[in-house]
Amino acid sequence: MFKNYFKIALRNLWKNRTFTTLNVVGLTAAFGVAILLAMYTVFQLSFDRFHEHGDEIYQVYTEDSGLNGIEANISKSEPFAAALKDEVAGVEKITRYISTGVLLSQDDKQFDMSTAYVDPDFFEIFSFPIIKGDTKNPITSESSVVMTELAAKRIFGDEEPIGQTVSILRDEQQVPFTVTAIVKDFPNTSSMDFDIVLNFKSQNEHAYARTIGRWDMENHEVYMQLAEAVQQEQFEKNTTDFTQLHYKNVIDNAKRDGFQPNPEGLYRQLKLLPLADVRFANFNQGAVTVSRTMPYLVLGISILILFIACVNFINMSIAKSAQRLREIGMRKTLGANKKQLFFQFWGESILVFLISIGLGILLAVFLLPYFQTIFKTQASLATLLNPSLLLVLILSVLLITLIAGGYPALLMSRLGTLQSLKGKLDVHGKNHLRNSLMVLQFGIAILLISGTLVLWDQVEFMRTKDLGFNKDQVIAFPLNGQLNDQQAIELLRNKLQDKPNILSVTASNTILGLGKDGSRSTSVLGFEHQGRGVDTHMVVVDADYIETLDLNIIKGRAFRKNLASDSLSVIINEAMAKQLNEDDILASQIDLDDAVYSVVGVIKDFNFQELDQTIAPMTLFALPNWNLRNVYVKVSSQNLEQAYTDVKAAWNSIEPNAEFQGSFLNENIDRTLRHERTMITMIGSGSILAIILSCIGLFAMSLLIVAQRKKEIGVRKIVGASVSAITILLTKDFLKLIVIAFLIASPIAWWAMSKWLQNYVYRIELNIWMFLGAGGIAVVIAMLTIAVKTIKAATSNPVDSLRTE
Amino acid sequence: MKNKLLSLNIASKTVNLGSHKIALLDKIDLQVHEGEFISLMGPSGSGKSTLLNCIGMLDRFTDGGYTFLGEPVHSMKEKNRSRLYKEYIGFVFQAYHLIDELTVYENIETPLLYKNIKSSERKAMVADMLDRFNIVGKKDLFPMQLSGGQQQLVGIARALIGKPKLILADEPTGNLNSKQSDEIMELFAQLNEEGVTIIQATHSESNAAYGSRIINLLDGKIV
Ligand SMILES: Nc1ncnc2c1ncn2[C@@H]1O[C@H](COP(=O)(O)OP(=O)(O)O)[C@@H](O)[C@H]1O
Ligand SMILES: [Mg+2]
Repeated sequence: MFKNYFKIALRNLWKNRTFTTLNVVGLTAAFGVAILLAMYTVFQLSFDRFHEHGDEIYQVYTEDSGLNGIEANISKSEPFAAALKDEVAGVEKITRYISTGVLLSQDDKQFDMSTAYVDPDFFEIFSFPIIKGDTKNPITSESSVVMTELAAKRIFGDEEPIGQTVSILRDEQQVPFTVTAIVKDFPNTSSMDFDIVLNFKSQNEHAYARTIGRWDMENHEVYMQLAEAVQQEQFEKNTTDFTQLHYKNVIDNAKRDGFQPNPEGLYRQLKLLPLADVRFANFNQGAVTVSRTMPYLVLGISILILFIACVNFINMSIAKSAQRLREIGMRKTLGANKKQLFFQFWGESILVFLISIGLGILLAVFLLPYFQTIFKTQASLATLLNPSLLLVLILSVLLITLIAGGYPALLMSRLGTLQSLKGKLDVHGKNHLRNSLMVLQFGIAILLISGTLVLWDQVEFMRTKDLGFNKDQVIAFPLNGQLNDQQAIELLRNKLQDKPNILSVTASNTILGLGKDGSRSTSVLGFEHQGRGVDTHMVVVDADYIETLDLNIIKGRAFRKNLASDSLSVIINEAMAKQLNEDDILASQIDLDDAVYSVVGVIKDFNFQELDQTIAPMTLFALPNWNLRNVYVKVSSQNLEQAYTDVKAAWNSIEPNAEFQGSFLNENIDRTLRHERTMITMIGSGSILAIILSCIGLFAMSLLIVAQRKKEIGVRKIVGASVSAITILLTKDFLKLIVIAFLIASPIAWWAMSKWLQNYVYRIELNIWMFLGAGGIAVVIAMLTIAVKTIKAATSNPVDSLRTE
Repeated sequence: MKNKLLSLNIASKTVNLGSHKIALLDKIDLQVHEGEFISLMGPSGSGKSTLLNCIGMLDRFTDGGYTFLGEPVHSMKEKNRSRLYKEYIGFVFQAYHLIDELTVYENIETPLLYKNIKSSERKAMVADMLDRFNIVGKKDLFPMQLSGGQQQLVGIARALIGKPKLILADEPTGNLNSKQSDEIMELFAQLNEEGVTIIQATHSESNAAYGSRIINLLDGKIV
């Protein structure tokens, strides 16, 4: 029996090879892409899930009442972690955490190492297993260093790393550290990413010693493991006294400034963020929001694409079943029952699906390297090889084949014996289903296309927007060598001074956009002004900052050439001026703990942060001997490439061992749009695939319709219908479907896109043309798809079509 | 007299066409005994096919009684009816109705598959049948590669493979020339000799003459 089914299935598939091919191609593409996208989603969602105590690990953060409502903040102060553990019940273990880069040397080699400074509990909270060396107290000593297998390999090659001494540059001195332990290379689903781990106390003066005992200097994150018996909410409630005690002045200031407390009447609330949520949390806009939209969006796209391919399969199977009526009828008279017929036809579908899934897996394997490059992900197919996940995948594939293959099989097995023998099929009801499915298909395609268009528009807008500073002519790079910042800048200035294509050189503690090294920092300063609390971004700059970036001074002056004479002067932006709210801004002063600074100038607001944020108050300082990590070099617009080479050569001669990580500011801006670009590529490729698959289905339908109406076309031509009249006759039904799809999809797309655009303070206006464009694209592609067959049918000799009947 | 195979007791079939009812078969009374060879005659549209389909249980009478081998078909569930016809009835059609995608061998084999007969037994039965109809050389051909007469031979072989008691043949020679037609009728006569009961619908007087009894239908009534 099975052999008989199998044979007839193969013969049928072969007989209808055009349709088989269309189906297999469509389903293969859909399965291949769906596998990749599902893999990506699973990979994203499995981030930080490998820690044994994962469910008990939390990041500690605070929610403060601020000028603009609730503000979330993850930075904590030096005494905080220890005090929390002592004073609030339920802290099983706690660690401070700060991630940064250090320069490590061994013999005469130098390595840039990403470093985590943590407390000893770190290795007990997180599952970074130590495979060699001191498993008990690896970093209890302040001169110990723990490294990953990879890092050890990089530094020592095949030599035994344990017990070796390396030196790390700290406060301009080489400090020796002993390697005490090696940790297993961790899975690539770890958000924490380090080469070496050092004791928190091993940090430089500025980051640690200076902050000891200070509750007001917040510069690191804190993670804790909650005792098993304690609930998260309960713990958060229990911290109230702790907060009242240690943050009395913060709370008093908030009350004084008239901020709104939270619903519990608190002005500062300690909160816990589950470890698994950290990667998906947004701290930038008010209260913490955890959003897994992106991975689920990707999964959604893969489901939509599978859906489209399955619709093609269903539509083609139903349409083709008309040709198998006699077989169905005959089998029934020979004694087949419904169940047997169902399994026969379903089996044929399963065959097609199995072939497609097999090819789809091959396709996924083939596309994987490209996928990894384009989406900058380390997700691999191994991500999917976990028993419970495989079960889910197999079940979903079964479900898909059950529905897509089973529905047509059910229809066929239910046909009456006599009707099928006579070859008559009541096709009326079924066209409704086909039409609705096609409307859905094209609706999805149009939705994705318009999404892509809007996204692309917004990204172009952000990329090309005038941000208020010169981003085209300025090269920025980090001072990542051994010299101290001031020395390095001095040497660089001298080197570049007489080059005609170099216009000016400056430096600052912050970077604009995202540099090649990928690191970024901001410092926000809070102080009291006229009895109110005032917050400002603090940017410490070197000479010529304003000139180099072409910032516009609207009041007062820039810093003097002789920067030392301006060490007590500040220049503020318009937002800051507004916040200070002074009649004569240039006569005003700001009083920080250490000194009083005079406002000497006001610059026009510029977008020093990303475009999803309004321009915040900002103050430029000219403090001497400050950490100025980023150099900015303005070059003449004549030959940008040559200028880049010159700057690079200059840096290499000053710091021969350090990598030059320079890039133009517009590239830095581009880098900040990576997330958006990934989304465009995802949705864009999804929409291309969606429209291609929909058109495969449309093409198949046009083949069938033309075949079915061959006689009608012949008769109409003999009666005198023109070629165009017949083409219109054959096309207009499909065109109608696409127009309906457009009418349904556009409002949904409009709604979704305007929602997405809400994320950006600076955004494009949606206009009807983006959506009409998407609809237009769909219509044109669809028409081209069916044009070939219909025009051929319309121009064929009518006598031929009648003769074959 | 031989055993009674089936009997129709004022059996009728009516259909609703729009608002009014049409009687396709009108109060048919008919007894068929084992070993009979009945020819149903009547002009096109007189109800021959409908009657055969109802007797073959592919269709139902809407009124009256139908007893087959003592079992009341009119009150039976679909499942039991299909068990009954699977076991006892073979069909031969004017348009042969072979399955295009299957070879001669596989076409003949198919009814056995639905009867869950073992593979070795199946092989033997099909081989016998091929032998008997002299079509061993054609067993791997597809229906399209055969002449009409040969296709109908395969059709009959397929109807016979399940060793039915009754063969229902609806204008079995309607698409054949007179030589082929005579061969098929000879074959039926021979089968009937061997004890198979046959009911055939036909237009042709000469074909009808092969039968042991002729029943004339007109507008759904026996005349
Ligand atoms: N399901 C049906 N509904 C309505 N009329 C039918 C149906 N089946 C058959 N008929 C009509 O019943 C009549 C008898 O048909 P049929 O049994 O095929 O006649 P024959 O085989 O003698 O030519 C014809 O007029 C046919 O059109
Ligand atoms: Mg007939």
